Amino acid sequence: MTTPHQQLLARRQRDTDLLLNWISRFSLHLVIIILAVLCLIPLLLIVSASFTDEIALTRNGYQLVPSQFSTEAYALIFRNPGTIVRAYMVTIFVTGFGTIISLTIMSLLAYALSRPDFVLRKPISLIVFFTMLFNGGIVPYYILMTQYLRVQDTLFALLLPYFVVAYYVLILRTYFAALPAELIEAARMDGASELRIFWSIALPLAKPALATIGLFTALSYWNDWTTSLYFIRDANLYPLQYLLYIIQSNAQAMQLQATVGTINMGEVPTQTARMAMAVLATGPAALIFLFFQRYLVRGVTLGAFK
Amino acid sequence: MKNGLTRRGFLKGIGAAAAAGGMSFSGLAKLAAAPARRYQGLPTLVYMFPGGVQADVARVQDALNAIAAERIGATIELRAVDWGAYDTQISLINASGEAYDLAFTAPWINNYYTNIGQEYLAGIGDLLPELAPNYYASMTQDTWNAARVGGDIYGGINQQIFVKPFGPYIRSDVLEAIGLADAFNSMTSYADLEPILAAVKEFADSDDTLTHATSNLAPLSIAENWGFDPILQYLVVKGTDESAQVQIYTQTDEFAQAVETIRRWYLAGYAPSDVQQWTEMDAAWQAGQIAVRVADIVKPGGNAEVAARWGWDVTSRALVEPMLTTGGVIATLNGVGSVSANPELAVRYLELVNTDPLFYNTLCKGIQGVHWDWEDEAQGLIRPAGGAASFADTGYNPNTDWMFGNVFNAYYTDPSQVGAWPETAELNRNARSSPVLGFTFDGSNVQTELASISAVSREYADPLGSGVVEDVAAGLATLNQAMLDAGIERVRDEIQSQVDAWKASRA
Repeated sequence: MTTPHQQLLARRQRDTDLLLNWISRFSLHLVIIILAVLCLIPLLLIVSASFTDEIALTRNGYQLVPSQFSTEAYALIFRNPGTIVRAYMVTIFVTGFGTIISLTIMSLLAYALSRPDFVLRKPISLIVFFTMLFNGGIVPYYILMTQYLRVQDTLFALLLPYFVVAYYVLILRTYFAALPAELIEAARMDGASELRIFWSIALPLAKPALATIGLFTALSYWNDWTTSLYFIRDANLYPLQYLLYIIQSNAQAMQLQATVGTINMGEVPTQTARMAMAVLATGPAALIFLFFQRYLVRGVTLGAFK
Repeated sequence: MKNGLTRRGFLKGIGAAAAAGGMSFSGLAKLAAAPARRYQGLPTLVYMFPGGVQADVARVQDALNAIAAERIGATIELRAVDWGAYDTQISLINASGEAYDLAFTAPWINNYYTNIGQEYLAGIGDLLPELAPNYYASMTQDTWNAARVGGDIYGGINQQIFVKPFGPYIRSDVLEAIGLADAFNSMTSYADLEPILAAVKEFADSDDTLTHATSNLAPLSIAENWGFDPILQYLVVKGTDESAQVQIYTQTDEFAQAVETIRRWYLAGYAPSDVQQWTEMDAAWQAGQIAVRVADIVKPGGNAEVAARWGWDVTSRALVEPMLTTGGVIATLNGVGSVSANPELAVRYLELVNTDPLFYNTLCKGIQGVHWDWEDEAQGLIRPAGGAASFADTGYNPNTDWMFGNVFNAYYTDPSQVGAWPETAELNRNARSSPVLGFTFDGSNVQTELASISAVSREYADPLGSGVVEDVAAGLATLNQAMLDAGIERVRDEIQSQVDAWKASRA
């Protein structure tokens, strides 16, 4: 039996707890909201600037809400829509196809290297690791690609460089190595072939690791513009990021040599157009991230459970 | 569940993209196939230059080859590399020993001196008089000497404006509003610009759009404004000094005068108090926020060019006596690759492009009737073909006449330009030659000092040049001490000894 007074006290206690709970939660959320806003504002500024009238932007500066709404910048970029659509196609293909092939090669390699009973495990691991420490440099790389493999001005030039990334192979190897040896043993007892063990046992278990590495690889492909800078001269094969880099650097080059001769600056993309380009380039990458985020979080924290 | 479906949908999307990409893959075969050869047996000259690939480049190339096959017995292949990629790609091509016949080179892109040092360019000094006689004769020995390094010439000079007559530009409407047109047009020195700036500022105070007279005062501290030939940014020779004494620019009276003027103008509020970048300056012009550019190159046709760039009619006046300098002459060159199989043909090509107006203009402007039509043939004025609004819409418009050859052969594209070429040629011809015209400095012995000087420049000289340093005299003293500490005297002595040796070799 409790007296009304005790009940009152208990309720007060509960209320205070609730309030404290609420305050601590609220303050935590507040901090996170502020952080999120701080991260979002620059992005919003870019989006807003890309929709602002060029002259208004110079007069009023960057604002969160366009001081004078205009889609002129996007019109400028899409004046030649074929180019940008093509660049999107190239990037999407290279990212999709490249990621699948690269995951296949890297997981096969990593799985083999993870098996203690693989005879060449040590020498091959050493070779993979060695490339992380030493490389020939840019000129031999260029000579290999253009004079031996002859892949310049083809999509292969864009795909090849990320097919095998030594660091990702090592991460995957570690992950595969952590799978219980008994599982593989049991599968073999049941008569599964090596390929079958890899495909039906190892790969499904390694999904979080594969998703993480896949995301990293996809982002490398998506954001890569230096490979094109070295090997691609055919404008039809420009990936998106490189096209944007070219548009931007053409504008800078023209400013640099404006004093050299007669140049029509009317062709140079404006500040707002640059922002529009940034929006077009980062938008899809952000979407991909949303899809993979769940796996990514799991993949990153997985090591912590052991 | 919903999530899973979306994810599967996404994967399906990737699959579709891969299928679409499969089609692009068939494009590889197309690329690998060599283009059909119309001029079989003729060697092909590969010409590399910075610029976007033009839509109609194949047609223009055919038209050029029709002329080139007959005149020099070779065809050419135009290989445009985007501006942002040119430096990287050409240096990789050079380093890997890939062959090309001709390439655009200059001190500011695909560096001429680096190319010579690494032997990427062939010496053509002996071939030019023999295989390109008219081209070689079209410029004086002094001019050719500017491209000479270690006794040989490694690139064909494109004739264009060689001199840099600096002076102010002002928006014509503002000049009219303040009623000082006569004063502006009779200026003889930068001191005469001061009352005009004051009047523009007063006008700006009552005007809504105009915020300041100008946005950047720094160009006033450029050495050419004060009659120097800058061998390096801070190591200069006075144009009138026949003994060619190398001076440290920051120690000269002229520099002191320049930074004092800049500070005075800064305090008077002729420029915004926060120093602006060049890019912002262009934007401010376009937005109509400023009306004066204190020091820029004033050249024939320059006003029309600025009007096209910023959308304002302008008036300009040169305040500096034009002077021929090495830097001005070799701003644009076409070199012959050292691994070229046909260096003689490449030099013949230089003769063709620099002396045949039809060939040159086809390269610069495209084909008559397809990309351009005559507006007035007697004046050499053309307009976009087929009623296109601008040359940019015709399918061929590299818009870099100065890169390909002698711009004095170029057709005019705007009525306001007509007559600019003979005027410019006249300006070049009548310009005083710098006492060190033809001299080029080899900085390999003083690399460390040059790096320190450039750091000092950013730390001390740039603030002085923009007017933000409160005590100019003290700032100048600090700058000069820092320059001494950076070893500028060693650099000066090195240049001087090279200049003296160069002078002795000429005598």
